[in-house]
Order: sequence, then C-alpha cells, then structure tokens
Amino acid sequence: MANWKLKEIVVMSVLSVVFAVVYLAFLPVGKLLVGFFGPIGYDLIFGIWFIVSIIAAYIIRKPGAAFLSETIAATVEVLLGSAVGPMLIISGMIQGVGAEAAFAATRWKNYTTKVLVLAGMGSAVTSFIWNFYLSGYAALSTGYVTAMFGVRLVSGALLAGILGKMISDGLAKTGVLSGFALGKEVRSQNNEAQQIS
Amino acid sequence: MRLQQLNPSMKALTIVVLVLLLALVFDPITPLLYGLWTIAITLLFGQVNLKKYGLFLIPFFIIAFGMFWTTLVFGEKPVNPDDMVKVFGMTFARESLFTALSLGLRVLSFAMLSLLFILTTDPTRFILSLMQQCKLSPKLAYGILAGFRFLPMMREELKNIRAAHRIRGVGRANGWKESFVQFKRYSIPLLAGAIRKAERTAIAMESKGFTGDRNRSFYRSFATGKRDWIFLVVMIGMFVLIAFTSWSLGYFQWYNGEV
Amino acid sequence: MKLNKSPNLLIDVQDLSLYFEEAQVPVLSEISFQLQQRENVLLLGPSGCGKSTLTFCLNGIYPSELDGRLEGEVSLNGKPTSEFSPGELSQKVGVVFQDPEGQFCMMTVEDEVAFGLENIGVPVEEMEERIDQVLDLVNLLPYKEQSIHSLSGGMKQKLALACVLALQPDVLILDEPTANLDPLAKKDFIQTIQFLQQKQPFSMIVIEHQLEGWIPLIDRSLIMNKQGEIFYEGPLRNGIQQHVQFMKEQGICLPKATELALQSEIDRAHLPLTVEELKRMGGVSVPPKKRTYHDQPVILQAENIEWSKGNERIIDNMNFSLREGEFMAIVGANGSGKTSFSRILSRLETRQKGSIDLFGKALQSWREAELRRKIGYVFQNPEHQFITDQVYDEIAYSLRLQNKSEEEIAMKVQEVLRQCQLDGLEYRHPFTLSQGQKRRLSVAIMAIEDPAILILDEPTFGQDGRSTEEIMNLLSRKNEEDTAIVMITHDMELVHDYADRVVVFESGKTVFDGVPQELWNKPSDVLESWHLERPIQAVIEEDEGRKVNRHASSTT
Repeated sequence: MANWKLKEIVVMSVLSVVFAVVYLAFLPVGKLLVGFFGPIGYDLIFGIWFIVSIIAAYIIRKPGAAFLSETIAATVEVLLGSAVGPMLIISGMIQGVGAEAAFAATRWKNYTTKVLVLAGMGSAVTSFIWNFYLSGYAALSTGYVTAMFGVRLVSGALLAGILGKMISDGLAKTGVLSGFALGKEVRSQNNEAQQIS
Repeated sequence: MRLQQLNPSMKALTIVVLVLLLALVFDPITPLLYGLWTIAITLLFGQVNLKKYGLFLIPFFIIAFGMFWTTLVFGEKPVNPDDMVKVFGMTFARESLFTALSLGLRVLSFAMLSLLFILTTDPTRFILSLMQQCKLSPKLAYGILAGFRFLPMMREELKNIRAAHRIRGVGRANGWKESFVQFKRYSIPLLAGAIRKAERTAIAMESKGFTGDRNRSFYRSFATGKRDWIFLVVMIGMFVLIAFTSWSLGYFQWYNGEV
Repeated sequence: MKLNKSPNLLIDVQDLSLYFEEAQVPVLSEISFQLQQRENVLLLGPSGCGKSTLTFCLNGIYPSELDGRLEGEVSLNGKPTSEFSPGELSQKVGVVFQDPEGQFCMMTVEDEVAFGLENIGVPVEEMEERIDQVLDLVNLLPYKEQSIHSLSGGMKQKLALACVLALQPDVLILDEPTANLDPLAKKDFIQTIQFLQQKQPFSMIVIEHQLEGWIPLIDRSLIMNKQGEIFYEGPLRNGIQQHVQFMKEQGICLPKATELALQSEIDRAHLPLTVEELKRMGGVSVPPKKRTYHDQPVILQAENIEWSKGNERIIDNMNFSLREGEFMAIVGANGSGKTSFSRILSRLETRQKGSIDLFGKALQSWREAELRRKIGYVFQNPEHQFITDQVYDEIAYSLRLQNKSEEEIAMKVQEVLRQCQLDGLEYRHPFTLSQGQKRRLSVAIMAIEDPAILILDEPTFGQDGRSTEEIMNLLSRKNEEDTAIVMITHDMELVHDYADRVVVFESGKTVFDGVPQELWNKPSDVLESWHLERPIQAVIEEDEGRKVNRHASSTT
C-alpha cells in the first residue's frame, strides 16, 4: 500500500461502502428474478456485484484497486448483516481476483472499455467456479449450468464493465475526480481538444 | 465466557474454517445437527436477543427454501427414479429430495455460523483486530473505518436527493430503461458528494499525524488468548462428532461434485 | 503589546508560491508572513483565494499530497518544514476544518481522540487521562462513549478541536470552523476558544468570512486578494480603513457594523468594527422595508398538523398560514421542526394529522405536476437538485417538460443566466460551479416556472457575503413579482432586512408570528430561550430608544 495516497484509499473504501449497500439492495431483486426464472435469475444481474472493482480500478488505476475494493465491499456487507456471512468475504476476494487479473494482464496500464468489459467477465469466471463448488451447482443439469455461466458472463460485461465505466465517466464530469487518475486523464484530453480546436 | 470477548479475527477464522469443513460434506444430517449446535452456542454464549435472532434468520430461511425448491425442480434426473417419496401431497424421487434437503440445510448451517459472528462482533473491533493480528495495513484499516462512518450520512443524502428530484418533476421509474437512468441519476450526485467528503476526511486524518506507519500505539489492543483456541477446538471437535454421528446413522457423504 | 522579537518567532513563511498541476498561474503568489508566539492572526480573503491551500502548506499536507509545485520556504521554530519527518508537522500545527462531517474516521468520541494520540505513539497508559482532559476542556466529557454521528454540528467542531488539542500543538489553525454552524453554536465555539486561550495562551491562525465574535481575539490580520497575494498585513482596523473599497470589490466580507456604517453618513475616516463601536458613533438607521399583508388572501393554510419520526414528535399541533406575495422567515433552534414542516407543506413528507389547503384545495388532492408548479422548494445542498450534465439543460429542464419550443427555451435560459450572473457558464457541469453559483442556479431553476410559493431551506448557509447578497437580490426580485417566499434561516440580519413576517418555531410549535420588529422587542431571555439573537440594527435602535427615553425622563 506504500505507493497509494491516503485519499485514494479512503475514496476506494467509501466507494466500497456505498456499493456494499447497493449490493445488499440487489439481493431481493435477485431473489425476485430467481422466483421468475429459477437459479439463473441471479446470473442475470450478477454483474452488478462486480461493479465496484471496475469503478475503483478505473478511477484510481493502481494495482490492487479491483481486488481490494471488492473485498472491502464484501466485508462491509458482512458487517451490515448480509445473509451469506464471513464466507462472503472470500467470495468477494475471488470476484476481485477475476477483475484484477484482467487489469494485471495489461500491467495496470490499459483502462479502455475493452479491458473494463474483460475485467467484468473475469469476475464472472472466478465467481462462477467458486459458486459451482460452494452452492453445489453440480447438482443441476449440465445444459442449465452452461446457460447460467453464459448469462453471468454477459451480465459481468454489461452491468459491471459498461455500467461501471458510465458511472465513473459521469463522475469525472462533475469534477470531483480531479485529484485521481481518471480525472487527470479527462483533463489532459480536454486540454488537447482545446489546443486542436 | 461470552462470544463478544473472543478475538474478532480468530472468531472469523474459526467460522471460515467451519464453513469450509461443512462445504465438504453433502448429507442432510450433518448440517442440520451442526446448525442446531450453532444456534445453541449463539443463544447461550452470545446473549443475543431471541426476537432479533429470529428476524435475522428469516431471509436465510427464504434463501434456503429457494435452494431446496429449485434443486428439487431443476435438479439432475435421479439415477434411481423408482424410489419415490411423498411430500406435501407431491411425489418426488427419494434421491432428489435427499439432494435438495442437503443443499438447503447446508445453506442454513452456513447462515447460522454467519449470524454467530455478525451478532456478537462490533465492526470497529473487527477491523482493528484485523490490523493488529492479521497485519492489515493501517492505511487500509482506518480507510475502511472512515468509509464505514459514511453509511448513516449516505442514507440521509439519498433521501434528500430523492426528494429534491421529485421537486424537479422527475417521476418514479417505470420499466427497465427508466430504472436504469434513475440508478445513474441518483448514484452520481451521491458518489460525487461522498468522494469529495472522502478527500476531506483523508486530509483531516493526515492532519492528525496519521502516516500509515505500522509503528503506532493502540488505545484498544487485541490479543489472542487461550479461550480463542478453546473456541476453535470445541467448534471443530463438535463438527467431527456430528459428522461421525451422521456416518454411524449411514447418511454421511463427502461432497464430490457429481451428486 | 506584543514584541516581534525573533526568539518568539514561530512560523516564518518566505516567498511561498504554489502551482497546481501544470498551471501557469499560481494559487498562492509570493506569500511572506510571520507568526509570533502567543499571537492570534486573522487570515482574510475572498472565497477561493487559496487560504485553505496555505493551511496545507503549514501543516505538512503539502508538498507530499500536492499535484503541482511549490516554491519558497516555510519554517517552524526556525526549522524548514521539509526537514520534519512525516506526521511530525501535523502534530505541531493542528487544524480544525470547516466541514463538521468530514473530519473523523472513527465511530465514537473517545476513539477519535485516541486516533490522534495513537498516531504520535502516546503510550496506552497515558491515553485515557489525556482523552478525559481534552474532552473536559471542550465540555464533551459526558459524551465520551457516544457515537460521533449523534452529536450536533457544534459539538462535532468542538470534538475536532479536542482531537487537535490532545496532540498539544504549537499552533492552532482554524479554517472557517464556524461556517457551517448556527449562530448559537458559533458563539459557543468562539467562547470555548476564548476560554482555552485564557487558560493557556497559544498561537492561532483564524481563517474566517464572518468576523463577528472573532474581532476581540485578533491581534493582527493578513488580507489576501483573488490572485493569492497578501496585499495587507497589520491591524484589522487599519486594513479595513485603508482598503475598504478594494475589499468590497474583491468580495471580502466586512463586519456587519462596518457595512452598516458605510450605508450611512458616518465619517468614513473612522469605520467601526463592532456593534459597540457603531453605537458609540451614534448608530445608524437604515429603515427596513415594512409591508403588511393583512389584506392579501391566504394561499396556504395548515391546521393542527402533527408529524412524528419514529417515536419522536417533531411537529406538534401546528397552525400556519401564508398570504399571497409575503416574504416570510421561519426561525428557531436546530431540531425545532423547521425543515420537517417545510417539507410537509410541499408534500415531500405526509402529515399524520391535520389538514393543509393550498388555494382552497386540499394539498393531497393536487396532481403532482401541478403542485410542483405552484410550490418550489430549494434544498440546503444545491447539488441535490441538479439532474443534468449542463447548466443550460438544468435551466431548460422544466421548460421542456412543458413542451415549450426550443427557441423560446433558449431565450428564457439566456434571460435566467443573466439574472443570476451565470453568463458564459451554460456549458459547464453544474457540479463544477462555485458554491455561490451553484446556489444561484438552484434558486433559478426553482423560480423559472414562477411558482406562487417558493420555500427555501437555509439558502445562505455557508455562503460568503457577496454570494448572500446576490441570492437575496434574486429572492427580492421574485418576491416583487408576487411570489410568496418562505425562507428558513438562522441569520437574523436577513430576517430584519428582508422579511415582512417572521414565524418562530420551538419544539414543533409556533411560538411567535408577526412582523420582525415585534420579535426584536421581546425580552432578551425569551429570545434566548428560542435560540435567537437580535440583529445589529435592532440592538442599536433599542439602545437609542432607551437613550431617548432616559433623556426625556431627565428633562422632565
């Protein structure tokens, strides 16, 4: 954590806390969908549960942002009384690893839409493997499990990757990110645009 | 002894170990008995209000029942479809029922363990203990605590934003697309305010001489003692005992992914 | 008289300039000043002149957290700040910041004080005693184990002060510590500081907009301009005397007494700083506008309103009426139900008992869209009301809801921009505006549909003098166009200058309803029990009244 500024850590934590609440709020939505569609209902919106890794990594752009933010969000969920308990912290870590892997593959240098989408999908892959083990998905038929996996991948790409980018870009426009990597990038782009025009 | 006096990190470790152990097993008896044991421990040594406990338990029951039901309906075709049992006037293959019950009870037993932890652990103490016992970086630990303080503020903020948007004539969301726009519309001002405040908090923390150095004194210090180890051993011992009971009754099965 | 001898030199700033990022224009420009031991210096300047940035340079946050470059030198006790180890400087130079919410990282009062002590490695055995001691100094000892969230704003600021004092700093910097507090809490905070200084003198740098209350504490002042330069250093009185015109141009707040004197025929060569001085000079009378609205029809009437939050009764059998075109102020202590009631009136909360009629029709039977056109509501935090990415769209939003043509909208938007002095900012994101601009925009977007009633929740909260004036001008103009204004405020000067009628809330009930003058005539102890203070003009007039009476009785 030595090369992190304290403000980056506090902002990451705050993002994690906010999204921990969002994550909890989406649980009943998931349950409702499960009621309609069966277990695959969760997978439809599973991506929302990866979004903080994308947002934190995209804004702060330091190794570990995706992993840590997701882990903290899970920890806070537990402390708030999530139905899953301390195991959720491990789930969070596993999801975080998936997203972090995508950023690590670019050596934490590339934060284009493509990488963000891949990071969302990365979380989908790792989390699916974990759920497969923990929730006994093996008891379900192979075709159904494959469908669940496919849906989760798409959900990770859209609800985490794309939505995460949209929210971060929206935040950058408000100017509050001026002290962070994303805000600085936006500013230098604006300056270039002005020089050209 | 009270569960509140245990070292929070050790308590968390104990719970995680037990969840992993329970995850290895796939029969209905072991999680059922272990769940009951956990409830007994929580109520006896956790001094938890029974009503509060019940309230926390409700969502878990719903999830567990969901698991049970979907496995029963969507589960793989039984190998032995002739062996049927009647439940609630419906017939199911004994094997499917066995699998569904195992899954449902498994989720419930995880939930009992979680509740034991949540209801007897103070968040601040947990984070401080993680820093002292598990070498969690102080920057991260205090960063998380600072973030935690934002929770009540955020609730008020969200309420205000909602009211303020209503005044502007922004209607309630109907349908998916509008809900999505609404999500973005609320989240941006909420997060923008939080980020600005977080930056101020970070500066205030540094202004109080915080550098993130591990070398600091602790107003509340945590240590692991004999009772933490006793708790760990007793909880694992009970698992072995219960697993053995299940085995002698002929139910015990390892989880091997192919059920 | 304090001597400027060098052994007493505490802080020495030499040619300090600071640039953010790649900027060519500095935020701070060649700042030089000194602070002696046991000296209280006031730092005065317009919003955004870099006062807080200077604070960061003094307490060691900059340059380590700075994205930019810093020139010049700052030293403490003769040692350049660059030679201090990280964290050491923060301990020696303590700061209390403006925002009561954003200064803490722990849950409870004692943990927060302990956090600072842990940072500087105070042994555990000593902590308890030091915590108790500083909490006692600021009267927070009974709250030691309470959660910080449950404290009032004023208590939070005193806690922030206690946290700093626990570190036993050489210098205390107060960075607008009372800007977000109500007048009573502000008074209490200043008294606490005064008490501490009597007990044990220490050096202090005070950064403030609203000078009332601070003046007796100040030995010397530094006045900055918008370019981040110090243009005056010396006694505050001389500074104001010499630069009064320039200070007004720069948007620097003058003491209220000085402002009043400027509006009257008082000799400009001797400007007063405090009410007492103004009184000695014979006082002034700027007549407040006096209008009465007994003949106007009642447009909003509430009867026997009750409303509770949880088990707490917030509004208790409240009766209330508003006449067409009135300018009404709602005042009272924090927690007396002002905000809750205003929200009930605008149907943001639902009353639990009683009835409300708007233009003779029950409030609950109004259609949402129509109701919003009749009643506008300006929230305390202007950002909450912004829903688009551009100032232009923000103003155009409700016009578009009415399906007006884009041409018509464009014209109206330009007009509004001009009125609110936001010209040229139409393509900015509303969040990037300055505090004052945000506030004006939030008022403008509410007023654009010409509502019959405009409710405002502390519209001048945390604003500097210039900005307050601009907002009040905006409101007066709307009021002249027959919009009834209901303004919740703690600022009695505004009540005196603008309100036709004032309503006092106490514990969810109306305890006074009448013209401001009548309120100021209430006995002091009654006003105090309502947490109110007389405005300066009323204080002066009252004294004059007494003088006249005494004079009259002595001649007979």
